Amino acid sequence: MTEGNRSIAGQGPTQRRDTVGIVGAGAFGTALGSVLARAGRRVILWSRDEAVVETIRTTRRCPRLPSAPLPEPLEATSDPRRLASAARFVVLAVTSTNVRDRSRALGDVIDGSHIVVHAVGALAQPSNERVSQVMELGLPTLKIGAIAGPALPDDLAENRYSSIVVASAFEEVVAEGRRLLNAPPVLRVYGSMDLIGIELASALSGAYTVALGLSDGLSMGPGPRAVLITRALAEASRLGVAAGAEARTFAGLAGLGNLLVRASDRSADYQFGRRLADGSGSTADAARTEGARAALAGIDLAAKLRVRMPVLKGVAAVLTGRLEPKAVANLIGDTVAEAE
Amino acid sequence: MGSDRPVREAENRLERFNGDRERLLAEVERRVVAKKLAEARAGGDASLEYVLNDVAYCEIRRLEAASGKAGAIDRWRDLSRRLLAMSEADKQDELRSLVRYYGKDVVGNFDPRVYKFATGIGPSLLGFVFSPVGSLREGMAAMRSLDARIHADGEIDVARACAERGTIIVTPTHSSNMDSPAIGFGLLRAGLPPTTYGAGKNLFSNPFLSYFMRNLGAYRVDRRLKFELYKDVLKEYSAVLLEHGYHSLFFPGGTRCRSNIIEKNLKLGLLGTTVTAYKNSVRDGAPHKRLYIVPATINYRLVLEAETLIDDYLAETGKSRYIITDDEFSRIGRILEFFRKILVHEGSVIVRFGRPLDPFGNDVTDDGESIDRQGRVVDPASFVRGADGEVSDDDQRDAEYTRALGRRLASVYPRLTVFHATHLVARAVYDTITRAAGTRDIYRLIRVPPQQLVASADAVASQLERLRKRLAGTPAWGSEHPLLAAQEASAVVDDAVRGLSSYHTRPIVSRREMLLQVDDVKLLYYYQNRTAHMPPEEAA
Repeated sequence: MTEGNRSIAGQGPTQRRDTVGIVGAGAFGTALGSVLARAGRRVILWSRDEAVVETIRTTRRCPRLPSAPLPEPLEATSDPRRLASAARFVVLAVTSTNVRDRSRALGDVIDGSHIVVHAVGALAQPSNERVSQVMELGLPTLKIGAIAGPALPDDLAENRYSSIVVASAFEEVVAEGRRLLNAPPVLRVYGSMDLIGIELASALSGAYTVALGLSDGLSMGPGPRAVLITRALAEASRLGVAAGAEARTFAGLAGLGNLLVRASDRSADYQFGRRLADGSGSTADAARTEGARAALAGIDLAAKLRVRMPVLKGVAAVLTGRLEPKAVANLIGDTVAEAE
Repeated sequence: MGSDRPVREAENRLERFNGDRERLLAEVERRVVAKKLAEARAGGDASLEYVLNDVAYCEIRRLEAASGKAGAIDRWRDLSRRLLAMSEADKQDELRSLVRYYGKDVVGNFDPRVYKFATGIGPSLLGFVFSPVGSLREGMAAMRSLDARIHADGEIDVARACAERGTIIVTPTHSSNMDSPAIGFGLLRAGLPPTTYGAGKNLFSNPFLSYFMRNLGAYRVDRRLKFELYKDVLKEYSAVLLEHGYHSLFFPGGTRCRSNIIEKNLKLGLLGTTVTAYKNSVRDGAPHKRLYIVPATINYRLVLEAETLIDDYLAETGKSRYIITDDEFSRIGRILEFFRKILVHEGSVIVRFGRPLDPFGNDVTDDGESIDRQGRVVDPASFVRGADGEVSDDDQRDAEYTRALGRRLASVYPRLTVFHATHLVARAVYDTITRAAGTRDIYRLIRVPPQQLVASADAVASQLERLRKRLAGTPAWGSEHPLLAAQEASAVVDDAVRGLSSYHTRPIVSRREMLLQVDDVKLLYYYQNRTAHMPPEEAA
């Protein structure tokens, strides 16, 4: 085989091209693997936990999401080298607190030809950078992207209709993401070149989920709730544009889509907002949910970029104990109403 | 500073350039024609008719604007008229002929005798040429070793190792038309091989420098030619040169920096040819033919064309004057003045070389291996390979790689910046007068009465002291000139005031007993702009 046409680690050319690697056997990674494997896509799922890998091999189920069947085209492994050699397209499906470590570990086994997209709907901890910025430091490849949108693990596991968007500055990443992750009718994948927007919209939707939890916990009613959602999107768009993103991204799957899907009791951010409203939650827990952390990080970014964000400011004031939930409810929305 | 180690003959690959020239041109012609024919199959704007019409239209517009000779315009009008009736074969012939024509217009020359002369007795002769007639002996003495006035330092050993292992692309900051000779001498002082480089065609209007540039590997870049076919020829020529191992030099800033702020928004056209060239080498089975981008800064005590550049920057029309033909560089008297007053200072130009990068913006080890941000060795060839190890073509991907490289370059330039006394004192004076004026806005300062543009020398010295301390604590901002290290703030102020009041048409700052009077706030702003990436003391 010539230098320009070699196969890697014994994989047949077509097989590797058509395989999806997933890092992390958490709920989302498992659900995504399940959908893809059921659609006939070959999947390599890497977990650092040998016991999880063994369970998947023997029961074809993952302990983190037992409702999701994991049929044969899915292979579980605890060896990252196996993942890197079997798949060029990799989804990093880990928590925001693990992104740094897992990127570094993945970076040990991949090269510049790999494509890595993350599925982290939050900012990277502890420094509140966008996750792709952390990946740039940890991975040897530049072909980096993100997937985001209202695709809940349970929906995916139970064949309910879902959609996500894949974003990157590289057209190739978007095209490969759409080709490899698209599994209609359960999962439809849209494309975007606005990586900054997708990451910010996704992270901020967590912050606004806390606000919606507050609003619902205070029984503010559908009118104020609608105002809250629309003004939140408006200010998030302003922040995004100042950071180099496109405004329309915030009204898409990663922004509005994520916000609507998270505003339910299944979301830790939403529950936290409700608990703050009824007095059972403590602001000391603010660092524990990704949405609350995103709210505080968003305020820092807004100050740096000089963007007015009254909704986020109100949420942050409650989270830091400077205002009571009831007091902030009256402040939500622009104090200086202007043209929409 | 500098090196006693001579450039090895084997490293001066330009010596074989003349023998290669026809082959290189033929390769450029073959590739550009093949690309255009392949694109033309899609029809529409890519069809040959459109490509040829674009050339004719742009040439007619250019010549009409320049009141060119009727004969020259007629050639393009004739082409435009004939296009509709031309057969496909005729269009292909015309395309081939145009590619050859522009290729010949671009291609450089390398005369080893001129190189030997320029690097041997050249500097002495240059000294003679640039010495005022009335003080021949003094001028000869001062300029006998012109290249010694140009210091070179930085990561020279790594750059040399890379030049031996592969092909280097030197990418300096760009603030003056003197940059070409300055970087040439800088390379010589660093023991690095000579490079070929694209020089604006307007520079060839200076007959003296034109002679050297034409014979030392420079190729001509005519920035008036905006059509795609010309850009394709230029980029392909650059890629072919790199693939054949010719060390090259690009100014990623594209044009001289008008503001003197360290360049951030880099033009990526020619820089992108590094990815193309490396990809072609990998495809040809030669991934070991590595390319290394060597960032560099050229740091002048004073800049020859500062007055014109800052005026252009501050003028609203600044951006439209992309090519300036009537600046100090076109006035031989100003060049003589510059050489006589500026280049006689020890270390008045300092070229600092940074650690090389690969075409994808990765750092490299001392022996030229690419490493990622975690310090792991990476295979650069993997960046252009697809899922099955095949080399894949993807223009958008390659453009994104080049943007990443541009971001890396822009991020390392500040660290490589060397501040002369003129920069630091200009900043200290600017900080002092703007604090009193209550604004750092240059447009407001221009309207401030002269009696308010005064600072006490003591206040400036103490401001300078604090600035130097902050600079010493933040290597990412750059460093002061090595010769300043032992000097007290007051001595640095005196040295800077001498410089700032000696060369330009009128003094920038002059001393009146214990006061420093700002006479030209625009030029003060220009010189302090070199420190613009250092936040004001109040903000820090």
